[in-house]
Amino acid sequence: MNWQATTLAAGDNVATVLQPIAAGETVAVWTAAGVIAITALEPVALCHKIALADLAAGTAVIKYGQCIGQTTAPVRQGGWVHVHNLRSRRAQAAGGQTT
Amino acid sequence: MTSPAFDGFRRPDGVVGVRNHVLILSVTGLTGPTARRIGRAVPGARVVTTPYGSGLVGADAALQRRALTAFGAHPNVGAVLVIGASPPLVDEVVASIALTAKPVEALILDDCDHDALTLTERGTRIAARMMREASRARRVPVPLAELFLGMECGRSDPSSGLVANPLVGAVVDALIDAGGRAVFGETIEWLGAEHLLTARAASPEVARAIEAAVLRRERNAIDAGLDLLGNNPGPTNIAAGLTTIEEKSLGAIAKGGRSPIRGVVGIADPLPGPGLYLMDAPAYAPESVGGLVASGAQLVLFTTGVGNSFVSGLAPTIKISGNPVATRRLREQLDFDASDVFERRASLADAAARLQALVLEVASGTLTWGEILDEGEDVVSRLGPAL
Repeated sequence: MNWQATTLAAGDNVATVLQPIAAGETVAVWTAAGVIAITALEPVALCHKIALADLAAGTAVIKYGQCIGQTTAPVRQGGWVHVHNLRSRRAQAAGGQTT
Repeated sequence: MTSPAFDGFRRPDGVVGVRNHVLILSVTGLTGPTARRIGRAVPGARVVTTPYGSGLVGADAALQRRALTAFGAHPNVGAVLVIGASPPLVDEVVASIALTAKPVEALILDDCDHDALTLTERGTRIAARMMREASRARRVPVPLAELFLGMECGRSDPSSGLVANPLVGAVVDALIDAGGRAVFGETIEWLGAEHLLTARAASPEVARAIEAAVLRRERNAIDAGLDLLGNNPGPTNIAAGLTTIEEKSLGAIAKGGRSPIRGVVGIADPLPGPGLYLMDAPAYAPESVGGLVASGAQLVLFTTGVGNSFVSGLAPTIKISGNPVATRRLREQLDFDASDVFERRASLADAAARLQALVLEVASGTLTWGEILDEGEDVVSRLGPAL
């Protein structure tokens, strides 16, 4: 069985890509429920994350079956999820100021 | 485990070393360069130094003393030459190390007419004699339960949480099941995963200690005006695909396996008993590894994503990565290549069995890349301002 991306637990809404992905590429994603196909909307570098569903701004991003932060902008299925659209829910200075 | 035992050095006080180092231990900043000069004159001797001295106060001074003494008392050290600028600290450190019944000698700059060259000459003769005597020691079979592992990750990427850390966790679980000891620190990298750690706490007190330790670090970050994003994960982590501290932590804690957590110890504190412990300590690799080794870890399992050349000088440090690009590039840095798991050519269980075999082999004397290339250093954290 081969796949280009993997989730780490049931309920994950992002997958880690196991090889560099080009825009428009169909990505086979391993999930606990079986392998699913997602079309990449943009390039995703090795080990970076791809959205498995449309995520509205403020959605909890789930990896390892756990919340790793929330989206700061809407992300469409197949989009690249990284620091430009995801941030921590922890250790933020009062008022959510960022440096 | 493929073999129930490894070959180690049984010390006079009963503890077991996986190496038999002669250590030149400089306990004052003034004598560091002399310690390094003696080390160069006696190839194979290890050197630990500190840049600090009499200005340290309170808990900071206590930690320096405890950790430097612990490096000397470490099971991987067969004999120690302690050098320092003036008697009280040297005498204290020597008295503590002498409790292990291993050979320990002292040289003090005050007794050498404040002449570093005199100290060098006397120290070189002592270290040379110690090397000869230490080489008479022979390894004997010892049970796995006498192994004490420290776990560390540095320059991690998403492959660390996917492959390398779970592999280490599997080895740690097998060791704990056999009655051994293990510890990992990097408190800030429990943040976002603390609920998974507290769920494994052996008692409510331990769970509270874990929560309190994480909260303290989180508050430190906030008080410093830090947005953790950009500090931890750092730029290298982020470029490699990590995003938030939560994501990094959830991957990082996998290196601790699934065993119950017996307690939370301070930097350089010995473990109260067998089992898995957490160390409340900084995350930066030299400080983190220094604390684990000072607590008595004989061997360090160090996972990395993109590569990290730092190792302990006293405890052989096995470098493990599952990143296929890094493992192809860093052939003389990474001791264990887990990229076959990343590339779906091998199962995690098969790779864990191979890693367990390597751990026992290194514990029995096989050299790591870090040892061959002499990358090692052992340092102590600072806790506050000096006078």
